[in-house]
Amino acid sequence: MDDDCIIRTENLVKKFGEDVTAVDNVSFEIERGEVVGYLGPNGAGKTTTIKILTNLIEPTSGRACINGIDVNRYPKEALKDVGSLIGVPGVYGYLTPDEVLTYFGKVYRMSKEKIERRIEEVLELVNLSDWRHSKIESFSTGMERRLAIGKSIFHEPSILILDEPVLGLDPEGIREIRELIKSFQKKDVTVFLSSHLLDEVSKVCDSVIFLYDGKMIERDSVERIDQIMKQYRLIEVEFLDTLSESDLQKVRKIPVIDEVTKINQNKIRILKNEGDPASTADILRKVIDEDLDVISYSPMKSDLEDFYVSLLGKRGGAR
Amino acid sequence: MKPIREDILEDMKNTCLTVSFELKKHFRMKRMVISFALAIGLPLIFYIVPRIWASFPDTAEEFARLNLSFVNLLIIISGSLFAGDAVVGEYEEKTGLLLFSTPQRHTTIFIGKYIGALVPTLAVVSIYYLTTSLEIIGIYGTGEITSEFFKSFLIALIYTSSAVSLIFFFSSVLKRKITSTLLGFFSLMMILPIVSSVLQFIVDVEPWYILTYTEGLITDVFVGAPPIGGGPGGQPGLFSPDFYVGISVMIIYTLVLFFLGVFIATRRRME
Repeated sequence: MDDDCIIRTENLVKKFGEDVTAVDNVSFEIERGEVVGYLGPNGAGKTTTIKILTNLIEPTSGRACINGIDVNRYPKEALKDVGSLIGVPGVYGYLTPDEVLTYFGKVYRMSKEKIERRIEEVLELVNLSDWRHSKIESFSTGMERRLAIGKSIFHEPSILILDEPVLGLDPEGIREIRELIKSFQKKDVTVFLSSHLLDEVSKVCDSVIFLYDGKMIERDSVERIDQIMKQYRLIEVEFLDTLSESDLQKVRKIPVIDEVTKINQNKIRILKNEGDPASTADILRKVIDEDLDVISYSPMKSDLEDFYVSLLGKRGGAR
Repeated sequence: MKPIREDILEDMKNTCLTVSFELKKHFRMKRMVISFALAIGLPLIFYIVPRIWASFPDTAEEFARLNLSFVNLLIIISGSLFAGDAVVGEYEEKTGLLLFSTPQRHTTIFIGKYIGALVPTLAVVSIYYLTTSLEIIGIYGTGEITSEFFKSFLIALIYTSSAVSLIFFFSSVLKRKITSTLLGFFSLMMILPIVSSVLQFIVDVEPWYILTYTEGLITDVFVGAPPIGGGPGGQPGLFSPDFYVGISVMIIYTLVLFFLGVFIATRRRME
C-alpha cells in the first residue's frame, strides 16, 4: 500500500434489498493532507459511503480502508485517529457539552488534562463556551450541529470525515466552519467532505469526487472543475409568443447549443457547449435572426444537477 | 494489531465507559429517583397501612410473602425504564451516529448498555428487599430474617436479569423506544401471565417454560404457605413452579435473550 494513502475504497458496493444499489463499485484514494470533496445530489450515495467508512454500515462487497486497515473488520484500530460527523446526529439532550465531550474524550483514551484543555479549546472554537454546563436539550439545531462538529475534532484527529458539515448552520456558522476546514489544510489533516453544494466544496477542497446514482463519475481538481463549469452555462429565454415545434427546431439547429428544454409555452432553457461570453451573444443574435420575439434573455450559471447531466452526457450516460 | 490480552482489556474499558454513561443517563432522566422511590415506597405501604388501619400478619413469613409478591411489579417498571430504550434509543434519536463511529466494537457498547440497565434494576430490587427486611426487623425482630428470605432475594435477582434480558431484546429488535418499553412492560405484566393462566386453567398444562410463571418462586420459597404462583400480585394457580426448573428457565431466558439481543443489536446498522 502507498504510505501516503490515508483513505481508500476498493470496488465498494452497498445494496439495500435486491433493487436499490446505493453505492455502485466506488473506488478512490485520498492521500495524506488532501482535502477532498465528495459531491453529489441527494440520494447519490454520499452518506452511505461515509457510513461504510465509519463502520456504521457494512458494504455488500468491496473494502473501505483507513490507514491501510479495513474499517469494517478492525474498526477499533481503523477509527482511532478519525473524527467524523455523519448526517444530522442527535446529541444526548439530557447531558451538557462538558459531559458529552468528556465521555468521548475517554473513549479516545485522552488524559484528564487533555480532555479539560480540549473542552475549553473546542467549545471556544464552536462558540459554545458559555453553554458548557447547560443541558443540550435547550440548544437550537445550529448549536447542536456546532457541538457535533466540536465532537468530531475533539481528539485532534489527523483524518476528518464530514458529511454535509454546514447543514443547518446560519451564514456566519457556515463561514466559521469553512475557515475551520481551511485551517486543517495547514495542519496536514486529511479531510473527506461530502456535500451537495459545489460552491461550498470548491471553497475548501483541493479536489472533488463526483457521485451520481451511486456511481463515481469524475474526480478532478477544483480548478479544472471550475473551468468545466464555465463551459456549461444555461440561458433562459422568454418569447413574446407561444413557441411552436418548428420554432424549437430552429433554436435547436443553432450551433453551440447542446440542448433546448421547454419550460412553458413561451419560455425555454438553452444549454450551450461553449463557455466564452461571445457564444452567449451569438446565440441571442441567431435566435432573433429566426424572427422570434425575445422579451427576456438571462444567462445563468448551471447548477450541480446540470453539471452532472453534462458530465453524464459526455460519458455516454451513466444515468 | 494489539495482543489479545490488551485488546480484551481495552474492550472491557469501553464496556465500563458505556455502563457509566448509561447510569448517568438514567440518573439525569430521573429514572433512578423514580425507581428508588418505588423501591422504598411500595414496601412502606405494607408497613404503614396495617399499622394505622389494621394489624400485621401473625408471622414474619406471611408479611414477607405479602410484601414480596409485589416485587415483580417493581422489576417490570424498573426493567422497562432502564432497558426499554437501551439500544433502540441510539437509532431513534440518531445519537448512534456519534457513538457507533467511535473506535469501539459495537458488541462492547451493547454489553455495556445491557449491564447499564441490569445494574440499576438489581439495585432497585435490593433496596426493596432491604426495606422489607428492615420492616420485618422492626415488627418481628432480627431473628425473623430467615434463609428463605435470602433465597427469595437471590431468585428475585435472577428473575430481574431475565426480565431485563427480555426488554433489552425488544429494544434491540424494535424501531421505537415507546414500543419496546411498552411491549416489555406488557409482556411481563399481562401477555405472558395471560398465556400462563390460559395454559393452566383452560388447557390444564403446567406452563413451566413461561418466564412469568417462574416468578412465583420468589414467594413460594417461604414454607408453610400455599403457593401464590403465576402473575404479578400473585394469582392462585393449579400448578406451582418447581424450584430447579424455574431457576433454569430464568437463567436460560437471561442468557439466550441477552446474547440474542447483543447479536441483533450488533448486526443492526444505522441505515
